[in-house]
Amino acid sequence: MLLPALIKNINQNYTDSKLRKQKDKLLQIIKIQGIKNYSDASYYTPLKEDYISIGVDSSTEALDTIKNEKRLIQGDTIEYRILSHNFNAESKKYLMEIAISVDAITETTRPLQNIAFQVLLGMILLTIMADQFYSTYVLRPLGLIIKTKLIGHKFPNFGSYDKVKTSTSDFEYLDISIYKMIETIESTFQKEREFISNASHELMTPISILQSKIENMFEQEDIADELKTRLLEMQKILNRLKSITKTLLLISQIENEQFLKEDYIPLAELLHEVYDEISIRLQDKNINLEIAIPAEWQLVKVNKFLLFNLFFNLINNAIKYNKEDGEINVVGLYQNDIFSVSINDTGIGIGAAELPFIFNRFKKFRQSLTQDSFGLGLPIVKSIADFHDIKIEVTSEKNVGSSFKLVFPAGLIKIG
Amino acid sequence: MNVLIIEDEKALAEELEIFLTNYNYICEICFNGTTASQRIGINLYDFILIDLGLPDYDGLDLLKEAKKNNPEAVCIILTARAEVYDRIKGLDLGADDYLPKPFSLLELQSRMQAITRRKFGLKQNLVDLGGFLINLTDRTITYYNTEVNSITKKEFDLIAYLILHKNRTLSRSQLSEHIWGSIINDDYDSNYIDAHIKNIRKKLNVFAPPDWLETVRGLGYKIKISS
Repeated sequence: MLLPALIKNINQNYTDSKLRKQKDKLLQIIKIQGIKNYSDASYYTPLKEDYISIGVDSSTEALDTIKNEKRLIQGDTIEYRILSHNFNAESKKYLMEIAISVDAITETTRPLQNIAFQVLLGMILLTIMADQFYSTYVLRPLGLIIKTKLIGHKFPNFGSYDKVKTSTSDFEYLDISIYKMIETIESTFQKEREFISNASHELMTPISILQSKIENMFEQEDIADELKTRLLEMQKILNRLKSITKTLLLISQIENEQFLKEDYIPLAELLHEVYDEISIRLQDKNINLEIAIPAEWQLVKVNKFLLFNLFFNLINNAIKYNKEDGEINVVGLYQNDIFSVSINDTGIGIGAAELPFIFNRFKKFRQSLTQDSFGLGLPIVKSIADFHDIKIEVTSEKNVGSSFKLVFPAGLIKIG
Repeated sequence: MNVLIIEDEKALAEELEIFLTNYNYICEICFNGTTASQRIGINLYDFILIDLGLPDYDGLDLLKEAKKNNPEAVCIILTARAEVYDRIKGLDLGADDYLPKPFSLLELQSRMQAITRRKFGLKQNLVDLGGFLINLTDRTITYYNTEVNSITKKEFDLIAYLILHKNRTLSRSQLSEHIWGSIINDDYDSNYIDAHIKNIRKKLNVFAPPDWLETVRGLGYKIKISS
C-alpha cells in the first residue's frame, strides 16, 4: 500500500533534482554561448518523452517552479513534469521550461516498484525465518519442560528429575518449581500410601491374635453353646474389620505397584473361574449370567489375581444390586482396534447425581437389599483398572440397570 | 511331630501353641530370632513356623539357616507384610508354604497336613462316610462304585475341609474363609455356606441321606467320623 506511493515519491524527487541539474547546466551553456543561439527554441525527441523550450517571457514576477502540467505538442496532449524558470539575459527576460513526460517517469517507477516489492518480500520471509529459528532456539527449554514434565505421561510424572538444559533463569526457575510441585505431590501420595500400608499391617497382627483366640475358644469343649454363638458374632465383627483392612492394604499395594504383570490367560477362562466362584450367589437370587467373550481373546501381561478380583467385584455388584430373576450380560466388543468388555445388569441402577462419586472410598450410595458392604468394592475395581491402564465407563439408569464398560489399552488383549 | 514356633507376638505364639498341642503336635516357642537361630542350630524339627516380622532378625535368614541345618523340616512363613510374598516366591528360598496374617488356625493346620502328605508320599487318602467313598487325593466321591459327579469343586472343597477337621464344628465364617479367603470382597458378611451345604445334601441324597454331614444349630457344620 505504502510502497507504490513511496516509490513514486522517490522517483519524483529524483526527477525534480534531475530537472534542476539540467536547468543549471542549461543556464551555464547559455551564459557561455549567449542566448542568441537558443532564444525562442524548443527541442524534443520524436517520442516526446521530454523537451526543452526557451522563449521570451512577458511576466514580471520571478518564476522557478516544478509542477505537472499538460502541453499540446504536435497535436498530442501529454502530461509533463515541468520545470519553469525565468531569467534575464542580454537585458531581456526569458522563460525556460525543461520537461519530462509523466508516462516516462511512471515507466521507470514500475520496475523499481517490482524490484522493491520482491526485495521487501524476501526480507519479510527472512525475518520470519530468523524469528522462527530464534524463538525455537530461545524457547526450546520451555517446550522441553512442557513436553517432559507436563504432557507425555500422566501428570504428575513421578520419578527421577531430569533437569532441562537452559541458560535462561526464568525457565530454570519454572523447571525447578514444577519439579518441586511434583515432588510435593509425590511425597504426599507416598505418605498416604505408607500410612494406609503401615496402618493395615499394624492392624493385621492384633486381628490375627483375636482371631486365633476366638478360634481356640470356639474349639473348647467346656464352653456352652450360647457362649459359642456370641463368639461367632465376635468372629463376624472381626471378619468385617479384617475385610476392610485387607482391602485397604490391597489398594495400597496396587497403588505402590507391588504386583507383577506376568500372566497370560484367555479372558473367557478367567471369567469362567469368576463364574465358578460366584454361581452360588447367582443361584441365590435366581439371576441369569450370560458371558459372550470370544474364546480367542487372550489377556497379555496382566496380574491374574487382580483381574480376577476386578471381574469378581463387578459381577458381584451386578448381582448385589440386581432384582430377583434379573439378568447380567458380560459382552466383549472389538471395534476400531479397541477391545472392550461391558458388564450390564438389570438392577436398581445408580442416580446421575451419585455417578461421579461411585469410585470414592467408603462412599455408600446404593443400599443393597440383602447384604452389608463397606463401600470398597468399586475403589478396588478402580485401582486394579488403573494399574492395568483399563478405562471404566459407567452408564446407568435408575431402576433399569447399570453398565460398566471396561476399555482395554492396546496390547492388553490379543487375539490368538 | 515337633513344631518350632518363631513369633515375637507372645499372645499369638501362645494361641498357636494351644491350638497345635490340641492337634497332638509338640510345640516349642521362640519370641525372637536370636534364640530361634540357636534352637535351629541344635534341635531337629518337623515343622518350623517363621514370622518374618521379627524385631532382631531377618526371617528370611532364619529360613536359610533352617534349610541348612534341618533340611527335612517343613518351613511355613507367617507374615503380616503381604507384599513380601512376591519376593519370597521370587527368591525361592525353599519355604514350603506361606500364610499371610491374619490366618485361620484351621487353615494353618490343613496346610501342615497337606504338606505332610506330600512330603511323605502318603497313599490314597480315602474316607468312608456311610457308603460314600471320598478320595481326597483324586477329589472324587463314589457311592458303591458309582461316581457322584454332580459335586462341584467348591462343594468338594467344603467336604474335604470338614473331613480334615472331622468331629469338630466349623463355623460358617471359618468355612467361607477357607473357600473364598483369597477373594478380596466388599461384603463382610456374605455367607453362602448354607446354600452350598443344601446343594451338597440334595446331590448326595439321590444316593443315600448323608447323615454324617451335621448341622450344629446356631454354630455351623461338622462331619462325624467315628474312629
